[in-house]
Amino acid sequence: MSVKVEMNKEEAFDEALDQLEGAYSFAKSMYQSEVLQTAAKLMDEPDGFSILYEKAEKFEQAGLFQDGPWEDPSKLQANLVKGSLRSGGMTTISELLSEVRMVAIAEGEYDREGVSKEKAHSFLNEVMALNVDILFPEETEAARIEGKGKDKDRMENLFQFLSDKLSLASISSQLVKEIDELVAQRPIMVKRTVKMVKHAEQLLETEIDASDREAIQKYLDAINGRTTVCDRCDVKEYRDQLKHLDEGKLKKEARSFSQSMHETGLVAPYHIVLVRYLNKHHPELLSDALALSNKGQANLEEHLPFVQNLITVGIHLPLKQSLYGLTLLLDRGVLSSNPVIPGIRRIIELDIQPTTRKSLLNLVNGNEGLTANNILVAGTISVLGQPLGIGQGMNPTCQTARGISLWSLHAPGHLLDLIARAARDEDIDITFEGQTIHSKDLREGLVDDLHVELDPVSLILVPHLDRIYSELVRRSNFRGEDVHKWVNPVYYGNWVPRGFSSVIDPLSGAVSDYRGFVRLFYATHHPDYNEGYELIYPNPVGIFITDSFGGFLGLHAVSIQRVAQDQNGDVRIYFYNPNNDSSQDWGQGIQPSVTGFNEIHGESSLPFHQFAARLYAFHYNQYEQGDAYAVDEQLVEKVETLAKESWGSQYTWTAL
Amino acid sequence: MPVSNREANFKLNNQNDRERMNSRKLGPLQINHERPQKGAKVALIGWSIPTIEAIQQIKRPYIVISHEGYKEYAEQHKIPFLSWDFGKPNHYQEVYERSEELFDQLVNIDVGHTISVFEELVEWAGALNARLREDPAVFDHSILFRDKAMMKRRAHLGGLKVGVFEEVENKEEVRRFFKRVNYSLLKNHQNEDADPIHFKALNKAGAAGHRMIFSEEDIENKLTDQSFPGLVESHLSGMEISCEVFIYKGEILFLNMTEYVKLGYSSMVPPSAEIEYYRPYIHKEVEKLIQAFDIQFGMIHPEFFITDTEEIYFGEVAYRIPGGHIFELIQKVYGFNPFGAHILCCDPHTTLEELEEFLPKEVKPNGHAGSFLVYPRKKNATRVQVPRDLEEHPSFEKHTLYKPTTAKFQDTDEGYGNHLGTVFFHGEDSGEISQLLTDYVDYDFYV
Repeated sequence: MSVKVEMNKEEAFDEALDQLEGAYSFAKSMYQSEVLQTAAKLMDEPDGFSILYEKAEKFEQAGLFQDGPWEDPSKLQANLVKGSLRSGGMTTISELLSEVRMVAIAEGEYDREGVSKEKAHSFLNEVMALNVDILFPEETEAARIEGKGKDKDRMENLFQFLSDKLSLASISSQLVKEIDELVAQRPIMVKRTVKMVKHAEQLLETEIDASDREAIQKYLDAINGRTTVCDRCDVKEYRDQLKHLDEGKLKKEARSFSQSMHETGLVAPYHIVLVRYLNKHHPELLSDALALSNKGQANLEEHLPFVQNLITVGIHLPLKQSLYGLTLLLDRGVLSSNPVIPGIRRIIELDIQPTTRKSLLNLVNGNEGLTANNILVAGTISVLGQPLGIGQGMNPTCQTARGISLWSLHAPGHLLDLIARAARDEDIDITFEGQTIHSKDLREGLVDDLHVELDPVSLILVPHLDRIYSELVRRSNFRGEDVHKWVNPVYYGNWVPRGFSSVIDPLSGAVSDYRGFVRLFYATHHPDYNEGYELIYPNPVGIFITDSFGGFLGLHAVSIQRVAQDQNGDVRIYFYNPNNDSSQDWGQGIQPSVTGFNEIHGESSLPFHQFAARLYAFHYNQYEQGDAYAVDEQLVEKVETLAKESWGSQYTWTAL
Repeated sequence: MPVSNREANFKLNNQNDRERMNSRKLGPLQINHERPQKGAKVALIGWSIPTIEAIQQIKRPYIVISHEGYKEYAEQHKIPFLSWDFGKPNHYQEVYERSEELFDQLVNIDVGHTISVFEELVEWAGALNARLREDPAVFDHSILFRDKAMMKRRAHLGGLKVGVFEEVENKEEVRRFFKRVNYSLLKNHQNEDADPIHFKALNKAGAAGHRMIFSEEDIENKLTDQSFPGLVESHLSGMEISCEVFIYKGEILFLNMTEYVKLGYSSMVPPSAEIEYYRPYIHKEVEKLIQAFDIQFGMIHPEFFITDTEEIYFGEVAYRIPGGHIFELIQKVYGFNPFGAHILCCDPHTTLEELEEFLPKEVKPNGHAGSFLVYPRKKNATRVQVPRDLEEHPSFEKHTLYKPTTAKFQDTDEGYGNHLGTVFFHGEDSGEISQLLTDYVDYDFYV
């Protein structure tokens, strides 16, 4: 038997690459795996990525990415890189090589049509910012398990190579921007924010911009809490220390924490310890510890015994964010709404069903000494305090999140009823056209397998509301018009106006009379055309979600919260998006902003016409319409062009 | 009629019958396998990239006949292509009838011969070649490689050793066969230790439709009315191996043996020395097979059992490219392109010189190559996990495991289903390769 010749790794790669290059265009797939495998072996070598970098143009031109998802680098999205890198196997290898190709483009080594040097640079910066954890590997249990194979080593080698080629300064500003935008939305769930801040911490040890350093430090302090009383002590020690402080020092401590909380929406663990301490011994300092507005202060004073009770039951270390919720709840004056106090009191004492109790307790680690009622009350405080901070998590339940948000804003009593029903009875009912629908009788909703990373209230409400929503859709099908015309007013309640218009004709599936649709939207919502009627309740509207190239991705539910002029005098639509992701890019230059245009925390905003160009369906009040004909023809055309050239390319367009 | 008369009649009739028999040409009808001198192109029936590559490399005029889903890709890469919907015909005769329309189109574009790339299309190539040669028997000949009962009977007639088998229409017939086989083995009174029998679908590739019947309860539980018609067969114990035989004018030009290290999962080429020892015996059986099946041109993929008593039994034979990446393994160790050799052998216009140049003269492998098919083991998977020690093993060559495009896998009830990727090995020591191929069967590559 002859001996297999041992080649060195670079020669093996070159040989595989030559074969790929020589292959017929249709047969590239037969030779790609050999190149990928030899590249993988090369990646294990210290200078492997440098060698691959020099051959980047050749391997792309030879057809390594042909017919696969990495074929066209101009269509790659930085936020998908993490997923591919963690997919393992050849998916990871392909992704790594795609990055190497990007570096060659960014460095001007490879002049690639469709991707400029600058574009490649910003892509890589974003990739690095989103994957700082790979750049600074963590020694966590998860990383350990994921790192069983060689994929993790290779990823780290790539990122080492990237940081040699690119400056860390540009990553840090990208990362800070991501955190800023996430924080601006004040989500109830802050796990992701905290994770990013912790990743950013590692950048402090490298050469980065002073302003980025300051911003990262600010977020770190908000999470960890920097106290003048003791440095890096544990919460028990801190509690003991508090006993020795005089009122002036306590006040100082209180103000420092509340300032940080208001700036970032993040609550430090010491802050909880302090508030619980003050609640017992110095309730007069609570207002300072929360930095309440005048209205909040008045609310606190009016209901002090109840708030003290609420702190005892609902403000705990494992759910520390509810302290921020409590602050905003007081500032909003929600307690002045008659049904709220008895509604919350009911939840404090509620007899929670075993399965619901179990899922609530699963939200915290064991051994915390918390009851399901504690958790549910903490969740209720958050939801009532941060109606725009409610998120759908990883679930396809935008409609339900939108409902919880709307009720929290305008019908807290109703929301409290629903919470009690779900937790105590494990059933919610709704009356639709004279018939009562019980969630306990329904089996299927949109959610197959609920992703449980949700706030406590959403966790217990979503399974019921989702099933009811699906049942309402089922009952409204085949009526010749979009189901939401009937579903929304029943599902959300009387706050939804009865007028309804949709882009798609459900009978033909085509876009029909688009211009009429746009005119009606302007005439009912734009202050220049709608006779000055203000939007009173959030309007649940449907939008087309598009990717950063304007390509149609799917339908999504958001609520228009208000329509107003921004600081430049442009009319913008301010909306609540239950999918509270930081920066979104819907293509055609349409990028919802979350800060910078007078957005209230949790709102996104877009110029009116840009929002209109993604609109799919909306409700309106038939008695509050302006003159549709008055809407400028050019404006309508502009919206139509944006629509046609993006999601609209997926549909047939018909005139009326 | 008086008894004496009847006896006289018997003698007379018997003699008459014998005379009648002796005056006839008996045994299988011999087919003319030559390709007529008309139509320059070869039509590849079915879409297979390695085969298209091979036919381009050997520069033979061709056209691919396949489902229209491939049309766009074919046009993009200038592959001569004709879309055709093969559909799901209910019986072979329907294929023959439907092939007329395709045949007319092929004649118009100068096709003179067709080669099937997949099991399910063997009868289509048979039907088209029958029309091209104006000989319907060519179609029937192709069915020999598809209908398992016809195949076994033909092998049996040709003197190959086969298990006892019967075609069955219902569960009652399976039960009768099961009892009779065990009665012959004197195991009728031992319900627990009855010998198993095998139930097989009549014309499915690989292990699809295969059920092992250990008891009468199994007949009830493992078979449904949809399983029929089928074939039942006595059990042969021993090693199962496959061969890939390149045939030209009825002669074996190259014989490869493949070891199924773990059936359905992994193969190794060439096999370990223990199996390689049987090469001369296998060679003889293959010659018998070629004779029995009247094969002149082409590549066959038969399976044999080597029993504990060192006897070789015929399992089945396919007239197509084997699955499980066996051709890739052959290419790796023997250094020729089996996809090209397949086309050359299937085309009677090929000259012996062309083939001799293409195929190695001696069976001299460069080490052992093995492949291991990775199936999903869980219902959900989001990630590929390749163990470090596997990747670092000197005999590890490459893998083709990508993140699955869907997170949930469909359960396959039939056969081993589609594998998601493959792991390849290449090394000196057959023991080591076969150990590697066994070790990772239970490993979760998809988590």
